[in-house]
Amino acid sequence: MSQSLSVPASRERGVASPTAMSDRWFSILLVVPAMLVILVFALLPLAYALDVSFRFADLTRGQIGDFVGLDNYRAVLHDRAFWSSVWVTLKFTLTAVTLEMVLGIAIAFLIHGATAGKGIIRSLMILPLATSAAVTGLFWRYLYDTQFGLINYFLGLVGLPEPNWLGDYTIALWSVILFDVWQWTPFVALIALAGLQALPKEPFEAAELDGASTFRVLRTLTFPMLKPVLFLVLVLRTIDSVRLYDAVAVLTRGGPGTVTETMTFYLYRTGLKLFRMDYASTMAIFFLYAMLVASLFALRPLLTQFSSRASEG
Amino acid sequence: MLQRESSFAKEALRYGLIVLVLGFIVFPIAWMIITSFKPADAVMVSPPRFLFTPTLENYTHAIYDKNFLFYIKNTLFISVASTVIVVVTGSLAAYSFARYNVGDGHLLFFILSTKMFPAIAVILPYFLIFRDVGKTGIGRFFGIGLDQPGALIISYTVFNLPFAIWLLVSFFQDIPRELEHSARLDGLSRLKVLAKVVCPLAAPGIAVTGVFTLIFSWNEFLFAYILTRKAASTVTVGVESFFTLQGILWGPVAAAATISVLPMLVFVLAMQRYMVRGLTFGAVRG
Repeated sequence: MSQSLSVPASRERGVASPTAMSDRWFSILLVVPAMLVILVFALLPLAYALDVSFRFADLTRGQIGDFVGLDNYRAVLHDRAFWSSVWVTLKFTLTAVTLEMVLGIAIAFLIHGATAGKGIIRSLMILPLATSAAVTGLFWRYLYDTQFGLINYFLGLVGLPEPNWLGDYTIALWSVILFDVWQWTPFVALIALAGLQALPKEPFEAAELDGASTFRVLRTLTFPMLKPVLFLVLVLRTIDSVRLYDAVAVLTRGGPGTVTETMTFYLYRTGLKLFRMDYASTMAIFFLYAMLVASLFALRPLLTQFSSRASEG
Repeated sequence: MLQRESSFAKEALRYGLIVLVLGFIVFPIAWMIITSFKPADAVMVSPPRFLFTPTLENYTHAIYDKNFLFYIKNTLFISVASTVIVVVTGSLAAYSFARYNVGDGHLLFFILSTKMFPAIAVILPYFLIFRDVGKTGIGRFFGIGLDQPGALIISYTVFNLPFAIWLLVSFFQDIPRELEHSARLDGLSRLKVLAKVVCPLAAPGIAVTGVFTLIFSWNEFLFAYILTRKAASTVTVGVESFFTLQGILWGPVAAAATISVLPMLVFVLAMQRYMVRGLTFGAVRG
């Protein structure tokens, strides 16, 4: 046939018959590199940790040793220090996340009602999120210092007691919480603010015409409509708080005693200070399991909801 | 009249509270920057001194005596390398998820669930594996071993990839499909459509994702702390090297902290518009 015909013909093949098969292969090829990275470097190490959790592995006495069945699991479940670290983690998470949510939402309302200067307010709010907890946390030690610290200086000026922020058994955990609240309340506030600003105007105008009270508008309109966003923030903050490490490492190193020793920090100490890789791996498996179950139940429905809404919109 | 007065009082109260909140938020960072310019005799004093002659001696101490630029160089290399890998592999995968819905959403959620891993759970095996791999020829060649940059590049890639994919999916979803359809009808191959039509449109989103990945890598502490000693240490670990037997040198610490935080502050301010979106994995478009 003539050449002029063969060109459109080959074009047509590419267009009219993008066969289901080749679409499929193309799409699979695209995810292969990312999946390889995740499978090799995230799942293999976990399989390795799982293996170690069934063995004797005291690195001070040589290499990874023999299979010991469920011994490590039994040992961890009977380890008082482990349960105490779980308790510290729960206390920290519950307090820090509650404070951050309440303050963050309040601040979001405060800024939402402001008439001018929102841009600069938002820019300043973002700053703590740009900094590493390891670096600014370290500097907070200087702020908390009993001799040279600015916090106690100000407290002294107004005649309040000057606590030993990081050295006192009853206060140390609160000091870590205060630092976390400083860093993450702006995160909650920013996202809640974005949620507030995305609310549709009409229902609120209608409510105003009906003469509904502010409280009623909040209870029946604002909060129900904000709920998905707020719940997402809550889940993200909770997941991060449970994994807390950086702030503890630079502020208190788990002390005084073990009052600020979170699960992550205890795990680190067991595995890389005491070199009991077996116990540490077992704890890691427990920890991982808890996180996966929690995120499966909390995060998955939430993000499905958001992403399906986004693809509709 | 009465109403206007009360609304003025309300506004005054509102801005008063806002200033208070901002003061609390900005103050620690501001004090860190101020301290970095203090002469040594104004740092460790009680009561704290607010007036002083600014000096650069803390910076010279941090840079010359403590060789802090070495940590900056390490961090830059490691973060940029990992960001490039994350952005390239992440974009390919995210495009596939956004357009072809590979794995019906299950795969995408599997990827997200790896983001929920507590990092500490993989760190122990990483420590053991990198320790052994680092002693082999291949490990030495690629710099994959304890206290070598490859180990951190791998760690940061794995931990940022899920986040990047989720954020990128949200950006790809924003691109209208019609353009790709018409490009396909013009006879472009799928790969060409991706390279010539989709990528330019997605460039801002890809850039935003890259900057986020860079910030997270730059600020990362746990992996850096455990997998490096000296040769491949990053800034977050470098700041810790200011602990001496005589105590902590707060002036130089403040200088080093300021050097390491400043680039990220600039990045974040430039990206404000996308902060909310990035911090929620693309779920809240802000």
